[in-house]
Amino acid sequence: MIRFENVSKTYKNGTPALKNITLDIEKGEFVFLVGASGSGKTTFLRLLLREELPDQGRILEAGRDIGELPKWRVPYLRRNIGCVFQDFRLLPNKSVFENVAFALEVIGRPRSTVDSQVPQILELVGLTDKSRNLPGELSGGEQQRVAVARAFVNRPLILLADEPTGNLDPANSESIMALLERINRTGTTVVMATHDKALVDRMRRRVVELDRGEMIRDQVRGVYGIDEGVLL
Amino acid sequence: MRVYLRYAFKETTGNLWRNRMMTIAAVLTVAVSLSLVGSALLLKQSAAQASAQWQQGTRVTVWMEPTASQNEISSVQSQLADLPIVKSCVFYTQAQDYKEAVKLLPQDESTVLKPYEVPSSFRCIPTVPSNAFVVQSTFSSQPGVYSVTAPEQQIREMNRAIRIIQIVFLALAGVLLLSATVLILNTIRMAIFSRRREVSVMKLVGATNWFIRIPYITEGFIQGLLGSVVAILAVTALHTWYPLHNEFQLNTSALLGTNAVVLIVGVVIGSVGSAIAIRRFLDV
Repeated sequence: MIRFENVSKTYKNGTPALKNITLDIEKGEFVFLVGASGSGKTTFLRLLLREELPDQGRILEAGRDIGELPKWRVPYLRRNIGCVFQDFRLLPNKSVFENVAFALEVIGRPRSTVDSQVPQILELVGLTDKSRNLPGELSGGEQQRVAVARAFVNRPLILLADEPTGNLDPANSESIMALLERINRTGTTVVMATHDKALVDRMRRRVVELDRGEMIRDQVRGVYGIDEGVLL
Repeated sequence: MRVYLRYAFKETTGNLWRNRMMTIAAVLTVAVSLSLVGSALLLKQSAAQASAQWQQGTRVTVWMEPTASQNEISSVQSQLADLPIVKSCVFYTQAQDYKEAVKLLPQDESTVLKPYEVPSSFRCIPTVPSNAFVVQSTFSSQPGVYSVTAPEQQIREMNRAIRIIQIVFLALAGVLLLSATVLILNTIRMAIFSRRREVSVMKLVGATNWFIRIPYITEGFIQGLLGSVVAILAVTALHTWYPLHNEFQLNTSALLGTNAVVLIVGVVIGSVGSAIAIRRFLDV
């Protein structure tokens, strides 16, 4: 599903963000991307979204080199990738329903699709009874569930999550993780960048660790830090 | 498609309403500058038409001294007849000119005028209007000639005055059009800025670039269009309610042509302003 081939990226100010990364992520995998701030996690996700292009190497998604994609095709690439962020990025003046519907409307889906898909996805994230509320009236955890619903309503092949639990308490983090797992079980590839050690340790999924742009670990059933892994 | 049209309409009208003060400023600036452009164009066409009409009837009049001898008169007459640039000449005797003068002058002046004080004259039509000057320079120093007059000069002076007014109008209009473009650019920029969250979400979920851009382009287009409609009303009103001298009066097709130019310029300005705003401030 995702393939990095010797990918390097250096920002204009000279700081290297990723150094010679080679990595394969299969369809339906759940991958944690861990590492300190500035280790290159966010650059990794931005490259997947083609917000940035690698300086060296190739990135393939669904078998296609996304670097060769003409600019006008990029939006179509993004329709296959859902995104969730630490800061939710909801539209404050639109209701929960409208926020989720917006994602379908702006890619030109007809009203009938919106009316059938949005309630379905709100049911999945457990917010059916809050669909008329504004984001400001919801808790952080609920807001993030709206964001997940928006990212998933178009049934993307890949779901990227950049610190989705970064602003949430443990209980809410738990419910978001349960949601991501459910989405992962539908066959969606999930890549999640996180700092949340407890979460990673408990989930026992594939862990890719970055350190100053270098991939220092790729463990199939990993935990957050190597030392703890040894201890366990 | 229908979904998109509804979306674009909602976005565009919403943006126009939200920034209505800026919109009004932009529309009025477009309107004022295009009114000037329209007036300048109308003025130019009127002047061209009027001077064409006058030049058709351009005559040169060689006025003889009232005391000119018969010899001098016949010498001038034969020279005029020999000149190839003169198409035809008619001789008006003192008596004929006296009659004309009585008709033209106010009564108190004409009563004191005696027939023998009035000059006789040759009314000549040159082959081309500009030859009037040649006749003027050839005959004004001939013995027995009082003066040679040609209306060409007045036409030229009037044309020069009109040209200056026109240049001033167009220069003002140019400055105003530039500021109208900047105002439109600024309203679009504000619209984009106030919707930056929406735009970033749209990019994230894969809305195409044109999907994002079109409401803003439409907004600039509408501002230009509204401005030019106001300008067209102003120009048409000017044309209808303040008719100039008959010879200046233009037909409807000239007015329609001017209005078409005004409309096109307005729409182009709106589109250019929003296009620049999109290029500079909408990173899609």
